[in-house]
Amino acid sequence: MKKIVAPPKLFHRFFRWYCHPKMLGHIEGDLLEDYRDRVHKKGKWRADARFVLDVLLLLRPEIIRPMEGYKNLNTYGMYKNYFKISFRQLAKNKTFAAINISVLTLGFSCFILLALYLHDELSFDRFHSDAEKIYRIVQHEQQENGTIRSVSSVAPALGKEAREQFQEIEDMCRLSAFGRVTLGNDPLTRTHERALSADPNFFTFFNFPLIEGDPKSVLQNSDAIVISESIKEKYFGEGPALGKQIWSGYMRQGKPVYLTVGGVMKDFPKNSHLQISLLFSDATWNVQYRDYAQYVNTDWVDTEYTTYLKLKPQSDVALLTAKIKNLVKSNYPTDREFKSNFELQPLQEIHTETEQFQSAADEFNANNIKPFYLYTFAALGIILLLTACLNYMNLATAVAIKRTREIGTRKTLGAPKFQMVTQFITDSVVLSLLSFIIAIAIVYAVLPFVNVFASKALSITTLPVEWMIGILFIIFIVGILSAQYPAFIATRVSIVDALKREVKLGGSSLSVRKALLIAQFAISIMMVASTLVIYQQLNYLREKDLGFNHENMVVIDVNSRNLRRNFETVKTEFSKPAEVLGITASTRVPGEWKSFPIATTKSSENINGSEMIFVGIDNDFLDTYQIKLLAGRTINDPVADSLKIVLTQLAVEQLGLTDPIGQTIEIPKVRYGERMEELEQPFRVEVIGVVEDFHFESLRANMMPVIFGALNTSIQVIDYYTLKIKTNDWAQTIETLKTINNKIDPNTPLEYTFLDSRFEELYVTDARRGQIFLTLSIIVVVIACLGLFALVSYSVESRMKEIGVRKVMGASVNSIVRLISKEFLILVVIAGIVGLPIAWFFMRSWLQEFAYRVPFGVSVFALAILLTLIIAFVTIGLRAARAARMNPVNSLRSE
Amino acid sequence: MTQHSLGEFEELVLLMVAALHDEAYGVVILEGLEEKLKKKVNISAVHVALKRIEDKGFVKSRMGGITEDRGGRRKKFYVITALGKRMLDAQYDLRNSIYKQIPKISFG
Repeated sequence: MKKIVAPPKLFHRFFRWYCHPKMLGHIEGDLLEDYRDRVHKKGKWRADARFVLDVLLLLRPEIIRPMEGYKNLNTYGMYKNYFKISFRQLAKNKTFAAINISVLTLGFSCFILLALYLHDELSFDRFHSDAEKIYRIVQHEQQENGTIRSVSSVAPALGKEAREQFQEIEDMCRLSAFGRVTLGNDPLTRTHERALSADPNFFTFFNFPLIEGDPKSVLQNSDAIVISESIKEKYFGEGPALGKQIWSGYMRQGKPVYLTVGGVMKDFPKNSHLQISLLFSDATWNVQYRDYAQYVNTDWVDTEYTTYLKLKPQSDVALLTAKIKNLVKSNYPTDREFKSNFELQPLQEIHTETEQFQSAADEFNANNIKPFYLYTFAALGIILLLTACLNYMNLATAVAIKRTREIGTRKTLGAPKFQMVTQFITDSVVLSLLSFIIAIAIVYAVLPFVNVFASKALSITTLPVEWMIGILFIIFIVGILSAQYPAFIATRVSIVDALKREVKLGGSSLSVRKALLIAQFAISIMMVASTLVIYQQLNYLREKDLGFNHENMVVIDVNSRNLRRNFETVKTEFSKPAEVLGITASTRVPGEWKSFPIATTKSSENINGSEMIFVGIDNDFLDTYQIKLLAGRTINDPVADSLKIVLTQLAVEQLGLTDPIGQTIEIPKVRYGERMEELEQPFRVEVIGVVEDFHFESLRANMMPVIFGALNTSIQVIDYYTLKIKTNDWAQTIETLKTINNKIDPNTPLEYTFLDSRFEELYVTDARRGQIFLTLSIIVVVIACLGLFALVSYSVESRMKEIGVRKVMGASVNSIVRLISKEFLILVVIAGIVGLPIAWFFMRSWLQEFAYRVPFGVSVFALAILLTLIIAFVTIGLRAARAARMNPVNSLRSE
Repeated sequence: MTQHSLGEFEELVLLMVAALHDEAYGVVILEGLEEKLKKKVNISAVHVALKRIEDKGFVKSRMGGITEDRGGRRKKFYVITALGKRMLDAQYDLRNSIYKQIPKISFG
């Protein structure tokens, strides 16, 4: 019997363990053959030694089995295959790919833009290094009529005193606005700038960067100003301006005051609630006004100073608020009733929680936005993304059913369900990423226009990495989720059916796709209806009869004493040109200009008094503004009629007067912006006329009652001339007016505004939001229609034979188009039923912002449905007509 | 595809595969080399070289039948490919052309 010779077992097993399985067979064979040979030739011992040596020398990277298991190689190949198939699918169904990519790109671009916008809105005031520690003191004051007046500023003495008394406060900074100042060394180019004054620590308290000057000392000296870069360029041109002097409209001992540039600051970033271009040092007022220091340190009643506090970490904000309230209460004059509540508003919340504050100066609450709009925009972004996904799901499902042969083949070859799902996920992720890349390019391209339109400084690069990753993640998730449904439908079919190509459009799959389409169109109809309502409201605001004439009116701001002193002469001078049809002087003009003096007015029937706008007018006011006089007469002479007034109907009503003419009413106090002033002795006046109601302010607010008095009252001085103009050449007319102005006052330039453009400006943000809505709803409708188009194409293709048979039997093109359209149009109608209530609810809450709103009802919604139906019908019709016109031979021959 | 290089030992193995046409497998190549080179060659070196030249596409392989004296293991037969042959030709020409440049000097 042949003796079995075997190599050393241990090394043989070692070799079998480490050798790559693919090579194991033949190398082992070689080894054994060699071994047997050697045993014969050289003996077992020598052969064993050689075998061990060979095994050890074979232990090389080329021969060892890979660490991660050699089988992985297969799966990597599979992934490669998934991508290959995905791209082939795209190339095969070009229309499908084009529609999907454009829809996803549209959806993603809008989503990214909205994300950028939201990020910008949420980034307000976060660039200060101590942003979390800074608070603004705001005050809620209860009015006599029970309403609450909220102001974002407090008494001048509060800040300093609180800083000294309360441990929690690390630092304090006050700002106050004092209107406008005329600047310019050259009398011809002088202009007016809004100006504020600030405590010396402003630039160390906040982090607004300075280009010139030392942050610690720029606001130290009197007559020192800090100007923004753009103001510097306007007055000093290029190059440094530090230490340069500039003429100002202020006078001191009969001489004009020259201000010194103490510093130049960068223009304030757009995402700051403070927008300041000119800052005075507080020290300037100590020189300018004798009692200024005393006023600032002892006044506890005025609400003129916007006060910011920097708190030490872990301070109890509620406790400090209570302490502040007590501090003000204990210092409040004893003869006045203290009815205020205080609140510490975190710096970062100012941007979104400022709506209710009445502040004379826009600088303090610039660009604020209601959280409502932020939520709306976030919702819009998600809605857009959602419609794009629904669309994708719908199309992918339609195409997936065509891919049953592929699925069948995969199944036959033993693919588990998981692998087929992976194929679908790869498809959608590939598509999403492609669209994402295009979307980024589009965002880059349109961003400059968006920035101009929204007056923002958005940029992709300012978006933090986390946001970018978040967006990518959402898009990825969207890709994976949208693949689930098509994958589910496609993998459900049995192998035999799939291979036989006898897949019926599963009833449930069709109804789900219809549901998706309904959802898309519900969103579209919602957007269309909302846009219609927004535009109706904007139109309503523009067209609404305000109760006075605001067209072709030029308003001249009075900025100097020369223009104010002899208003009769000024009026005659200005009325000389033929273009001027009328001129009137008044203390205020309609259109939310500067703050109105609000007079508390009492009558015998109304003892508590009501707040009314007080305007001083001359004898031409009612004629120029075309305000209708209902009874009595108007103010004729500034002196003789100085104790006479004219009321609006609303004022008469609020005062409870039945026969107003000849009655006497009483004005005990007047509020100027933030400041309430008791008149030295109550102003007792006689009613001589009643005029029709008119809207003095934006239509967001309720109509206020108005009192017209004479110009020469203690309440206010002339601030405006209003000219009614009729001209064909506005530029020429304005030149004429400028010449007249220079004759009267060579030192101050003419400042004029068109009254109607002023009223347009009141609604400029609304108009802008309307445009955003319009754009987004067009995009949503386009997406929905592309989806509809693809779905109709699919339906038509799968019914080609049916259409052919129908045509052979004598059906007309029209009847076939009708047949195909009907089922889809029903979906749109259902979508309307779903979408409209949501739109109605949403629009109702938006319109709450306006005191005067357009009545909207069935007609708007009917219009929205009709519009959508027409668009849908055109989409369907295009595709259906093509199918219906085809020669039936082509479709019937295909067997 | 980039031009593959051919190491010295790889070249010898490739030559041997070509020479043994259709009969080349591990042990035979090893024995052939040992005979020509007159020195011991390790089987591991042969296998690594074979794997490398196969990856480079100079040889292709097929599995043979099961034989008794290999403990029931298959043989893996290697055959030179057209690319491998071209490579050998190129190497040969290169060497020859340089060799011809050697001046005729006596090395007595």
